[in-house]
Amino acid sequence: MQGRTNEQWLTELRGPNPSEALADLYDLLVRGLRAALGGRAEANIEDFAQEALLKITNNLDSFRGESRFTTWAKKIAMNVALTELKRRRWRDVSLQDLLDRRTATGRGLADPQLTPEQAAFQNMVLAKVRDLIDEELTDRQREAVVAVILEGMPIAEVARRMGTNQNALYKLLHDARKKLKLRMEAVGLPPQGVLAALDAG
Amino acid sequence: MLDRGDLDKLVRVVAETRESEIGCDECFEQMDRFAEMEFSGPDAATVMPLVHDHLSKCEDCQETYEALLIAIRVE
Repeated sequence: MQGRTNEQWLTELRGPNPSEALADLYDLLVRGLRAALGGRAEANIEDFAQEALLKITNNLDSFRGESRFTTWAKKIAMNVALTELKRRRWRDVSLQDLLDRRTATGRGLADPQLTPEQAAFQNMVLAKVRDLIDEELTDRQREAVVAVILEGMPIAEVARRMGTNQNALYKLLHDARKKLKLRMEAVGLPPQGVLAALDAG
Repeated sequence: MLDRGDLDKLVRVVAETRESEIGCDECFEQMDRFAEMEFSGPDAATVMPLVHDHLSKCEDCQETYEALLIAIRVE
């Protein structure tokens, strides 16, 4: 039976005979996962739905009733599936290799199309920002900035490799961004102004 | 360790940094409500600016959110 109210879902799932509600919810999760992830996850859709179902039924008390119950349940299913897909996609990438490669490759300076003044400005900003990264950030902040912001690795995957969790790594990155912002302002290179100058270049 | 392309990326995220931002856990907690608001309610970004801000900064959460927006239409 579809079209249950939140209250009906909760009562049935917590009740003595949850099997019909469980089957309907499982079916809904499978269809939601298939629609959202399609070919990326087809072979594992049922496993993801099963894992999500377990997580949902174990955490019914954390549903705060601020959305439809099914939206909340789908949110959990999407998270279960995408976390696992990301883990697989990045399985063979080592954080250390990523960081070493970046240190090893000589990276070019300013764009050759620029006027000498623009190139000089870019080189000056580059040098300054490099110094700030080296001097102001902790080793962990620097690694996270490189891996997530510059290399585009998912936060969850970097967190896993650094022995922390996604939420904590986001906070660490937030602290790093705040510090760089303050320091850039302090040395006369407010980030908004620098962006405007770079865009003009 | 930083070239021109990096500089753009880095300075852009630094420029958008706010003193107060919510983390992934808090964003995830509110994501279902935020998603429903996108369809029906008042402007989600106005009502829940911190969630909107987090989604614009965190690709991990953004990916989950986009999947949810599709799944939400499945009845």
